[in-house]
Amino acid sequence: MSIQDKIREQVKGHRVVLYMKGTPQFPQCGFSATATEILKRCGVDEFFSVNVLADPDLRQGIKEYANWPTVPQLYVDGEFVGGCDIMREMYQSGELQQVLGAKKPA
Amino acid sequence: MHDTPPVTPESIRASLAEGLHCDVVEVRGDGHHFEALIVSREFDGLNRVRRHQLVYAALGDRMRQEIHALSMRTLSPAEWAAGQGR
Repeated sequence: MSIQDKIREQVKGHRVVLYMKGTPQFPQCGFSATATEILKRCGVDEFFSVNVLADPDLRQGIKEYANWPTVPQLYVDGEFVGGCDIMREMYQSGELQQVLGAKKPA
Repeated sequence: MHDTPPVTPESIRASLAEGLHCDVVEVRGDGHHFEALIVSREFDGLNRVRRHQLVYAALGDRMRQEIHALSMRTLSPAEWAAGQGR
């Protein structure tokens, strides 16, 4: 399976996916720590997280998949939502809570 | 190997102004972490993801090689005039 196929499978196979540096328990970058914290504050305790530091090919692959050069990256229902800045803005405006709370359309 | 010059807020500002039509572009930073405020008519009608992608495109290889931590706020001229981002 190609890296792009693997990423597609990950983001389509889980409702909420966070590509990050480190793990939710031990983030290894301030932006990834913030992203994790925002998800928790939105009431999302369970999400699929991927530590890109553990997989250089994946780390490069996600940049191409979303045309987005930085980490973290949040996906909800298979759609790329944004990085840390966008998560913070959407959290402050309440949009992120809506996106995370909305049921996946049938 | 040649030494690359240090990344400065001014050099990021210059790259943004060159690659994007900016009404306002302010960059602050300490050489490692940077914060940018960008107001551009090119953001009109675009969502946040598309706006950030335009900014990343303007920075090109610099984003991949030199700049490791950049926070940004991206506003259209109308949003800026309405007082967002201040």
